[in-house]
Amino acid sequence: MPEASEAEIMEHQHQAQATTATSRELPMARSMCWHCQSEVTGEYLCGQCVKVQPLSRDLDYFACFQLPRLLNIDEQYLEKTFYELSRTFHPDFYSTKDESEKAISLGNSAFLNAAYRTLKDPIQRAEYLIRLEAGAVKDIRSNPPADLFEEVLELQETLETFRQLAPKGPSSDLEALRKKLQAEREHLEKRQAEMETSLQHKFNEWDQLQERAALSGQAREEKNTILREMQEILSNRTYVRNMVNDLLETMG
Amino acid sequence: MAYSEKVIDHYNNPRNVGSFQKDAEDVGTGIVGAPECGDVMKLQIKVENDTIVDAKFKTFGCGSAIASSSLATEWLKGKSLEEAQKIKNTDIVQELNLPPVKIHCSVLAEDAIKAALGDYQKKATDKKSKPAEAAASS
Repeated sequence: MPEASEAEIMEHQHQAQATTATSRELPMARSMCWHCQSEVTGEYLCGQCVKVQPLSRDLDYFACFQLPRLLNIDEQYLEKTFYELSRTFHPDFYSTKDESEKAISLGNSAFLNAAYRTLKDPIQRAEYLIRLEAGAVKDIRSNPPADLFEEVLELQETLETFRQLAPKGPSSDLEALRKKLQAEREHLEKRQAEMETSLQHKFNEWDQLQERAALSGQAREEKNTILREMQEILSNRTYVRNMVNDLLETMG
Repeated sequence: MAYSEKVIDHYNNPRNVGSFQKDAEDVGTGIVGAPECGDVMKLQIKVENDTIVDAKFKTFGCGSAIASSSLATEWLKGKSLEEAQKIKNTDIVQELNLPPVKIHCSVLAEDAIKAALGDYQKKATDKKSKPAEAAASS
């Protein structure tokens, strides 16, 4: 059976790769191998029967990549580790294995993909960190930015007028409106960039505090303040980004 | 994920879109936003003798947010202020068959109702206390 032997070769290669990668340790769901009952030492594959082990449900995305909870991260390291772990867990390598192993590889892969996607993007990374650190986002929900809401409503009214005027062909009214909206767009894009800069400052503040807190114990109050400030910038940025997107969509 | 028929109906034919004069004495305005998705909702009520006689909304957001606020204005019309206070986001979820990822849209609608009621009540108490103050100071 040539097919079977091909699968076997792939499996061997895969296992060889996997064993070189098992120097890392991650919290696993169980302390015993689900298959042969031998002790699991935090490696992805059982040392005895080489069956893949499910990742711990308590594992967070940072821990999955063995990263500290910092907001400036080494993206090259992240990518490299992602590929390394993907090689261990990818369901393609388990197509000839039994159902339990398939399910575990699928579960681990799905978690790994979500973790990578989230950490790769700085905004999602910050939102995720806030959720992790605050338990629930609600706890540090920021004050509703009333002036921003007014701005959104006003801009939407102007956009609506523009949409009604545009199909009627060129006119001085339409031209004036276009100029107004263009200026608004430039202004909003500048504001979005400013928000991203202040967010980067908060990233740095957070990282410095984390490193300091690691030495001197906790700094809960200070941490919460930074988290709250980040949350506020993030949500305001969402409103501004939506306005920019609506402008781009309407004006082309 | 597909939207339910009711959501699509409200999205295509939104009820009560528009606005009232924000500073009118008989109008309560609630403006709320969802920081997760950037949706913004404005909901207004017009009140006569503690009964909501008319309601309007303007929502800039996804289909579920528009449907939630459209439904909310329909429900508000004819209700007393006390009854309106009792509208829960879960009622909206149930009526529109909202999937779990869209529950925050119904929460937004409930927040908007509460904000509009609060705004109206604040205006009403201010109105009551002002003439009294004027009388006391003169």
